[in-house]
Amino acid sequence: MAVKIGIDTGGTFTDCILMRDGRLAVHKVLSTPDNPARAVLEGLRALCPELMGVQLVHGSTVATNALLERKGARTALITTKGFEDVLEIGRQTRPHLYDPFVTKPPPLVPARWRFGVRERLAASGEVLQPLTPAEVEAVLARVRRSGAESLAICLLHAYANPVHEQQLAQAAAQLGIPVSASHQVLPEFREYERCSTTVVNAYLRPVMQRYLETLVRELAGTHLSIMRSNGGIMSAQRAQQEAVHTILSGPAGGVVGAFRVAQDAGYRRAITFDMGGTSTDVSLCDEQPRTTSETVIAGCPVKVPVIDIHTVGAGGGSLAYLDRGGALRVGPQSAGADPGPVCYGKGQALTVTDANLYLGRLHPDWFLGGAMRLDVERTRAAVRDFARRLRRPPEEACEGILEVANANMEGAIRVISVERGYDPREFVLVSFGGAGSMHAADLARRLAIPEVLVPANPGILSAFGMLISDYVQEFAQTVLVPAEAFTPERAAQAFAALEERGRQAMQEEGVPAEAIRIHRFLDMCYVGQSYELTVPYTPRFVEAFHRQHEWRYGYEDSRRPTLVVNVRVRVEGPSGTAYHPPRQPEVPGDGRAAQVDTVAMYVGGRWQEARVYDRQRLQPGDRLRGPALIVEYSATTVVPPDFVARVDGQQNLVLRRGET
Amino acid sequence: MDYDPIRLEVFKNLLSGIAEEMGVTLCRTAFSPNIKERRDFSCALFDAQGRMLAQAAHIPVHLGAMPMSVRYALEHVEMAPGDAVLINDPYGGGTHLPDITLVTPVFLDDPRRPAFFTANRAHHADVGGMVPGSMPLSTEVFQEGIRIPPVKIMVDGKVQPDLLQLILANVRTPREREGDLTAQIAANRTGERRLREVVAKYGLPEVVRYSEALLRYSERMTRLVIAELPDGDYTFEDYMDDDGIDAAPVPLRVTVRIRGDEVEVDFSGSAPQVRGSVNANFAITMSAVYYCIRTLAREQFPFNYGCMVPVRIVAPERSVVNCAFPSAVAGGNVETSQRIVDVVLGALAQAVPGRVAAASSGTMNNVTVGGLDPRSGEPYTYYETIAGGLGGRPGLRGLSATHAHMTNTLNTPIEALEHAYPLRVTRYAIRRRSGGRGQFPGGDGVIRELEFLGEAQVTVLSERRKFPPYGLQGGEPGKVGVNLLVRDHRRRKLPSKFNLRVQAGDRLVVATPGGGGYGPPRRK
Repeated sequence: MAVKIGIDTGGTFTDCILMRDGRLAVHKVLSTPDNPARAVLEGLRALCPELMGVQLVHGSTVATNALLERKGARTALITTKGFEDVLEIGRQTRPHLYDPFVTKPPPLVPARWRFGVRERLAASGEVLQPLTPAEVEAVLARVRRSGAESLAICLLHAYANPVHEQQLAQAAAQLGIPVSASHQVLPEFREYERCSTTVVNAYLRPVMQRYLETLVRELAGTHLSIMRSNGGIMSAQRAQQEAVHTILSGPAGGVVGAFRVAQDAGYRRAITFDMGGTSTDVSLCDEQPRTTSETVIAGCPVKVPVIDIHTVGAGGGSLAYLDRGGALRVGPQSAGADPGPVCYGKGQALTVTDANLYLGRLHPDWFLGGAMRLDVERTRAAVRDFARRLRRPPEEACEGILEVANANMEGAIRVISVERGYDPREFVLVSFGGAGSMHAADLARRLAIPEVLVPANPGILSAFGMLISDYVQEFAQTVLVPAEAFTPERAAQAFAALEERGRQAMQEEGVPAEAIRIHRFLDMCYVGQSYELTVPYTPRFVEAFHRQHEWRYGYEDSRRPTLVVNVRVRVEGPSGTAYHPPRQPEVPGDGRAAQVDTVAMYVGGRWQEARVYDRQRLQPGDRLRGPALIVEYSATTVVPPDFVARVDGQQNLVLRRGET
Repeated sequence: MDYDPIRLEVFKNLLSGIAEEMGVTLCRTAFSPNIKERRDFSCALFDAQGRMLAQAAHIPVHLGAMPMSVRYALEHVEMAPGDAVLINDPYGGGTHLPDITLVTPVFLDDPRRPAFFTANRAHHADVGGMVPGSMPLSTEVFQEGIRIPPVKIMVDGKVQPDLLQLILANVRTPREREGDLTAQIAANRTGERRLREVVAKYGLPEVVRYSEALLRYSERMTRLVIAELPDGDYTFEDYMDDDGIDAAPVPLRVTVRIRGDEVEVDFSGSAPQVRGSVNANFAITMSAVYYCIRTLAREQFPFNYGCMVPVRIVAPERSVVNCAFPSAVAGGNVETSQRIVDVVLGALAQAVPGRVAAASSGTMNNVTVGGLDPRSGEPYTYYETIAGGLGGRPGLRGLSATHAHMTNTLNTPIEALEHAYPLRVTRYAIRRRSGGRGQFPGGDGVIRELEFLGEAQVTVLSERRKFPPYGLQGGEPGKVGVNLLVRDHRRRKLPSKFNLRVQAGDRLVVATPGGGGYGPPRRK
């Protein structure tokens, strides 16, 4: 039976998860930020000494970090003459309205490495001014002199006609550096976003190349795939060319993993909730994870589809303080890992984690499996001091900190649900990350979400997501055709070209032709609008667009002419053997055997005795009434008095409100 | 302490959240790119007395203007459940005619007296008048479009069809206007629904109590900001190039008087109102002043009525910063507002030299093109604002090619604009070395060249073509902007503000001003 391994490089840990004969094994090693490959190799060898023939899927932060730290390759950019500065002008806005000291990150390619060529196309793709061979040679000489390690090409209207970009790309092959042309990276209109995406790709390619070459060399004989930001995977070879598609590799794995657990537990719609030390990521899955093409990373728009993840600056380490106007604020400043919360022994300022500890929602002896004992006395003193300044009893002060943090996270979930036309009550809340499950039930109550799911192994969900992902790629092409002119013949022609690319890509990944699945979409808008909606392509696509507009925006106008902006295909192919989680029978039980302690928990305005359970010893079918704490290595789950927790057949915890 | 710091923080986020959510509804439901893409709108909540509680403003020019509209509507219209009031009259709470405000009362316990109001304001792409886009070189407000005094557009939950038809009959793109008005109604509904949820959860008395606490919180925060400024009188003067009709410069003068934790901003000595369309009404002047105060705050706090309490504004009647009916106002909102900011910040720079940047481009460079598209025979209107350079700052050079102060609207992508209009962009570049020299130089402006593929009518409202953005602390001024027409390879210089008939093949070149420098430049 084939062996498959998912590996996720995180900030602190590199997680590895192995699947053999439908069973999982897990190993965590400390990450090695100076050379992430070291931890990857160490983890792999510990988990599976014989790697020959093994299928590996890796979520890498190499591209993200290179972009955030501006440590990518020296990149040159060729544009249409007169438009060399489009990359720097951007959309001409400032990131903060009222901050006179606001700064913008500098463009990835400085002005001296941006070169214009005399050529011009019209919006129709018609050549207005041809690109001469002499012009090509001249600009390539300048690129060569610049010493660039990577080249980006983005000409006006290249989405409509790639002829000049192709001319340049072919000639540039002689330079011996990677070439990223906008008609290949993102053949969609709007020059700034296309240029920025192409430049990000060029900037990251040499970095990815160096990193993956090391891994491929060390892992000879394995089949290495890389997680894409859209929730699918691709071969390491492709990842070197399409580096821009790896920018949200890790977080995408988390959402895919969390949603898969929810699906296996019988849910079709889920909101994933990943609360860590400094921030919280939330995402919405309706049959599948939602994607967006409006990401901005490190100041650079990246218009490729990525899983839509909304982040707020509230986490376990968020600092609580009283501001000058007398309001209790929580975050976005964070105590981080160093000095960390007061209870870690070094921090001076109170955090969300400290408030949880004070209120008995965190067990001092069971943190990280008991590897680190939390300092309760230190926290109590800090809470007393804080409460005095607040002129409130300590319990109320701590509840206040949690209340403010929860309100912040509730806002984040509203953004991805209510504000996008979804009712959170129809979703299950899937909680993971170190701090999430202490807050999940309270958050569910605030949003009237009926159930919370805490997956088994919540600490390795990203790696799990990588393990179970399929090959997924999207191809789009701007057409800008009025809907009435978008005839079935025209559609067939437009889709055929994209599907051909898709099939070829899947075959290169080794997906057999008969296993390839293709989905057709159109990006559409009303004539005059500047935002598109994506609808599945069917003969009645115009109606589908009106309906979706009504649903998303509460308004449609079927008399108004519509425009087909982009045609889009999504191709999918299975990767290796599917994972079917083992299901154990649920035997009704009360979990007594797993009880390890009791704590005093402050809840509902008084101190109550709460049972503490060791999650590892709980059995499928056990039902626990709140108030209770369920402790495990990487997380603690709080079960409030109005909730009941059940262990399902796959060792997930399901918290449900309103049962007795 | 008469309030709970925890609940105060929760309400702060709740009420701002409602305003933001209204904004999301408006932005998503709206039709025109002006609202959807350029985000030229704002949403707000008001208490029973018409005091603003929370605002989601994407454009600072709406800061002070919203409360004026709501107050005016309250004073002039008796509202019943199911009503909504529409208003754009610059002489009745508005700013300029394209900004249309919708005010909806929220009745809770008393069917005769609203407990709250929700309101939003959006810039409509055309409200009629002498030129497409309704941003003309006018001499009276009647030329600028349809004037809407506070009127009930909705009664008993229904849109009044007669009134709507009257409005739509007076604009160039009625379908789009109807779409945008529908979006404005939807946005206020979102606000009302969310307010009702909050009241259901906490009870009306508690919501009223914390609304009050929130006003006092923002007032306290504002007073702390002002108290950090040294007491004294600080005077500054600057000029607008002209009013678009007469060639004379238009002086703006301000004296900022700081006394403890209060400030008086006095515009005595500014020019009387002018014939052209750069008159600002009091609402615009308020917005600009509040914007300036806000840039001095180091902490974030909600903008509401409380922020206005410690700030007194004196603007002489019938002046260019407080104009009277029926003077023309189309450009006051976009151009004069920027100069008001320049003079107020210039005065504040004397009080706190380390906290204020040199002058930014000081103009929105409004370009409107209208005509018939030769490809389809259909009329079109294209409106764009062009960024300039921002002023150098203590410790930092100014940003280049970025919108300043009272606006932050996006550009239209070249590929989108060439697809939609018979126009071609022939150059879009940073105007190098246009920022003022200095220890921390000003940012550079922009050069945008537009070729016309058919006959068209072009209107440009711009500034800083004669008087450059000032430098500070020894920094040099930025370069003035330049408007050119290129016809048959001959370049003709155009004034700051003009209205021109162009032919196919003509090119308009707009070179925008750079920001002023900060601190003395190093000698060469």
